Amino acid sequence: MKIFTCIKYVPDTSEAEVKLNPEGTAVDSSRFSFDINDADNYAVEESVQIKEKHGGSVTVVSIGPKQSEVMIRMALAKGCDNAIRIEDERIAAYDPIMVARVLAGAIKGQEFDLVLTGCMASDYGNAVTGVALAELLGVPHAAYVKKVEILDGKVKAHRELEGGLMEVVELTLPAVLTIQTGINEPRYAPIRGIREAQKKELKVVNLDDLGIAAGEVDANASHIVLEKLYIPEVESKAEIIEGDPDEKAEKLATILVKGGLV
Amino acid sequence: MEMTENQTFTERFDLLGCIQCGRCTGGCPVTVRTNLNVRRFVYDAYNEELLEELARAAEIWDCTACHTCAVRCPKGLKPLEVLIGLRSLLVESGKTQPSVRDALESVFREGNPWEKPRATRSDWMEGLDVPIAQPDQPVENLFFVCCTIAYDPRVQVIAQNLVRLLKGAGVNYAFLGDDESCCGSEVFTLGEEGLFEMIVEDNTELLNGYQAERIVALSPHCFTTFRTRYPNLKKPVLHYTQLLAELLEQGKLAFKGGLAKKIVFHDPCYLGKQSGVFDEPRRLLKAVDGVELVEFDRSRERSLCCEGGGGKMWVESESKKERLAETRIRDARALGADIVAVACPFCVLTLEDAVKALGYEEEMRVVEIMELLGELEVDQDKTNPA
Repeated sequence: MKIFTCIKYVPDTSEAEVKLNPEGTAVDSSRFSFDINDADNYAVEESVQIKEKHGGSVTVVSIGPKQSEVMIRMALAKGCDNAIRIEDERIAAYDPIMVARVLAGAIKGQEFDLVLTGCMASDYGNAVTGVALAELLGVPHAAYVKKVEILDGKVKAHRELEGGLMEVVELTLPAVLTIQTGINEPRYAPIRGIREAQKKELKVVNLDDLGIAAGEVDANASHIVLEKLYIPEVESKAEIIEGDPDEKAEKLATILVKGGLV
Repeated sequence: MEMTENQTFTERFDLLGCIQCGRCTGGCPVTVRTNLNVRRFVYDAYNEELLEELARAAEIWDCTACHTCAVRCPKGLKPLEVLIGLRSLLVESGKTQPSVRDALESVFREGNPWEKPRATRSDWMEGLDVPIAQPDQPVENLFFVCCTIAYDPRVQVIAQNLVRLLKGAGVNYAFLGDDESCCGSEVFTLGEEGLFEMIVEDNTELLNGYQAERIVALSPHCFTTFRTRYPNLKKPVLHYTQLLAELLEQGKLAFKGGLAKKIVFHDPCYLGKQSGVFDEPRRLLKAVDGVELVEFDRSRERSLCCEGGGGKMWVESESKKERLAETRIRDARALGADIVAVACPFCVLTLEDAVKALGYEEEMRVVEIMELLGELEVDQDKTNPA
């Protein structure tokens, strides 16, 4: 089983106040800590578990700065075999389609059975990269996967749907799975393991190395134009509806209808 | 717990030195509420084939690293370190509890176990004009804050009040700012040996790089860890209560106004039984007019552990029996104490939770000594800065 696992280095916005740069075009990330995207961490664990059960190898692919190598080394310490880090300022990294094109460029031409990604990144929250990647690689995909069963030449994926439903699909390999959090319990990468993982290959490449024309993945190629970012104003308004149940229901219904909410 | 690669588990912890006298289990405070029997682990760990199975036992996570067993052992062994060694086997295999995993990863990435960004470590200083140490400038007292005091809004007051008090007492001091990183106390007890070694190396280099006469730690956990597990640290290390007691003695510190309260002092394990600092915190409390200081039956080296150490901030015991912190608060209430004073951020958090759980909030407060002293004005007339 040859697996590629795509991971992303994202800011943790839960512990520091989110501020914008003066131009309002980017988030000021100087006070954030960065780490592997949560769902990607589960994808790493799942790929290592599949490898432990069925043999093969896991290659980590990530687009990110030098600092993200800590995250990549942790994935290698957990059992992934080698890694490719792509760094190129020309990539329009805010556009998931451009990101998928770059990842596809890194994987295409190599033999693979499975590509795992997280189902969604916590920075932009698009949940698009994985499925776009499948399209670009020309292979089937399943998104929001909560359970994986490897069969002969196929994979059975349990997908989490709205309302708590599970959909079970069978895909022929090779395939792309986008992994939902909670599918497993990611292991800890002890420091001795991280040091040991320094011996594993971590290739750093740019668009030219991958043979990708910059014009296909840069801001000009992207259909997304980032116009403005702003912090939503905090508003609070509460109205206590008085009366007997019938009156309350009528008043509530009136408010909802007038507000265009139903 | 220094070791070389080729040592066996038995050699490393001197398991053959144990005479199975039972003084460790006889004093272990958690045996009243958990199944932990440290003597049995010391006995069984001699059998190398059993180690993996022992490392999977839930009880090894009940140990709070209070060191009572080590204090009582007539052979000078440290039974608790056998449990930490077993924890290491599990951590090294990557199979830790998620809460432990997240705390350790946070220390590795951000230098604190609380999953907070390094860039916000000094936010507690806002509005205080705190001097930050520079490697080329000599400083008498270099303060080490502690991750919990730096980030937890409940205990940040310890550092903030200390700064206010130092200014009044004319002390030469500086803090490390965002360069400060976890001392590794809890990393060690959680069994992450590789990470602890890395922390000791990095912190030793950092701290030795300053022209400081001494290092003053705010938390007993950092204090004891620096004292006992940093072999190459070149500066003496004090706990802040020692520095303040010294200032009192030199007449550089006095407090205005009184506090007519009955106070009982709870000796933190890492300050008392592990580092022998018993009198200085008491001296500070007695220096406040009107304070009636009373003592627990189990005080000084017999002090009852609050269960905040040994990595227990990240591991919940399976036991549903009364927590030791609750037992401690019941004892304080029986003494009629208005205030339970402590000198450790973990003790504040665990004992205060116990006060809330028991519903004694109306009649009793848990305070860190620095929190209490901060509520008093420093008496500039009686204070005589040199």
